[in-house]
Amino acid sequence: MLSVKNIDVAYGHARVLHDISLELEAGSMVFMAGRNGAGKTTFLKSIAGFMKPIAGSISFLGRDISGMAPEKVALMGIRYVFQDKRVFSNLTVRENLELAAYPVKEKTSHAIEKVMSIYPKMDKFLNLRAGSLSGGQRQILLIGRALVGDPKLLLVDEPTEGLAAGTINDILNVLAVMKGKVSMIIVEQNLSVVGMLAEKVYIMREGKIVQTCTSKEEIADKERLEQYL
Amino acid sequence: MINTIAYGLTIGAILYIISIGLSLTFGTMRIVNFAHGFVYTIGAYLLITSLPMVRDNFFLAAVIAVVAVIPIAYAIERFVIRKLYGVSIDYAIIATYAVVLIGVDSIKWIWGASPIPLSDPIGKYVNIFSVTLPMYRVLIIILALVIFGVLTVFFKKTIVGKIVTASLEDKDAVKSLGINVDKYFSIVFVIGSCLAALGGVLYAPITSVHPYMGMMVLLISFAVVLVGGLGNIKGTFVSAFVLGLIMAITGRYWGPAAETMVFVVMGIVLIFKPVEV
Ligand SMILES: Nc1ncnc2c1ncn2[C@@H]1O[C@H](COP(=O)(O)OP(=O)(O)OP(=O)(O)O)[C@@H](O)[C@H]1O
Ligand SMILES: [Mg+2]
Repeated sequence: MLSVKNIDVAYGHARVLHDISLELEAGSMVFMAGRNGAGKTTFLKSIAGFMKPIAGSISFLGRDISGMAPEKVALMGIRYVFQDKRVFSNLTVRENLELAAYPVKEKTSHAIEKVMSIYPKMDKFLNLRAGSLSGGQRQILLIGRALVGDPKLLLVDEPTEGLAAGTINDILNVLAVMKGKVSMIIVEQNLSVVGMLAEKVYIMREGKIVQTCTSKEEIADKERLEQYL
Repeated sequence: MINTIAYGLTIGAILYIISIGLSLTFGTMRIVNFAHGFVYTIGAYLLITSLPMVRDNFFLAAVIAVVAVIPIAYAIERFVIRKLYGVSIDYAIIATYAVVLIGVDSIKWIWGASPIPLSDPIGKYVNIFSVTLPMYRVLIIILALVIFGVLTVFFKKTIVGKIVTASLEDKDAVKSLGINVDKYFSIVFVIGSCLAALGGVLYAPITSVHPYMGMMVLLISFAVVLVGGLGNIKGTFVSAFVLGLIMAITGRYWGPAAETMVFVVMGIVLIFKPVEV
């Protein structure tokens, strides 16, 4: 459904992605790992329309989306969940969902149900400022918010970064529930999380995909993945 | 002294009305918009032009002037501001300053350079706390309070208001939901410009109308915005009235220092609460 062909991406004159290609099948959950600064976020942002590749092409469901505006990409069914758990902290949880429902012409109540289906506890927080949620709850709100309007592809940037072990479990459960229902590319540095969920892992280093792991044993082997980084 | 305070509140009210637009464009689009001062001036001139057309009915003329600013504001947004999204802040200063220069010269060409005086449109006085105050000024203060109320509801309750509130915090995240942020920015820009024009209209009878009237007001409005916090509707409200009072009170004791004092306060506030751009 997503086909990235030989893209190069740069910030001004600094090229940070070199000749990256990736094919994604509908319904799959793939992970991307790599050290800080490897270019993972830049890669997701290129798909989501926030960066325009200087070479190569990105197509989604047969349509060329390279250089398309981010809001248009979103309406085509690709949602990007930013790194750093950026909820709209001055709005309530309900309003965060209302904003997600508005562009896809869904009812806010529908959006709320969607989040509750992956995390029933959100019920209690609906009228609180999103800024007052814990890190884990924010992350779940962001993932839930991105699910409104039934997207086809979710790009999730480091969902467990900086979270405590117990909270990571909540996120893991949420991701596990979604597995198979929506295609996902998840950037994740926590290799235990990767080991538990991934069907395929791409390792990035210095702006290139240097390794692709597809076998179950390879993915479950934390030490081995670690060496690739 | 009560007279001075009343005067300060009037100035504060007008400063508030002018500064909202500046605060929002600064807060959402990160654009320093000098053209705002031109829109303020043009509002006053449009008032002058429309007064004779409606037999000097100030209220009607004011409405006409504010409405007539909509296409001007839209043109500025469409052809200047929209090109400046995301580029370095100095381009915005240069480009919008160019709009001011072109605008001021056009005004001189159409209406001439000499100041045009206007009389108090109401001419009645009211007694409050045993002081006699021009009713016009009292109405301006009430109007600012009403605008504050309406905007507060607008930003809290309407979807457009919520989109703008969210964009003030994280524009890209709003885009990632499939919302065309720029469209809402232009709505906000036009609303802000209309309010600036209203500020010019309201202030015209208090001073006189001249091509450069927007310059000083613009600088003071920037101070209001910086003190109140970028994109902060409530903060702008408080800071406008506080700075208005400071201007009036300073002016009472030493006229020439009135405006300087505003920037002194701004400097002090910025030392303790630096702005993140
Ligand atoms: N706005 C920017 N301007 C210039 N260079 C940037 C910008 N953002 C990122 N970079 C550079 O691009 C490279 C890739 O950054 P990117 O954020 O994609 O890495 P990442 O793999 O997501 O890292 P992290 O694990 O820290 O999130 C880095 O060298 C970074 O310094
Ligand atoms: Mg990153």
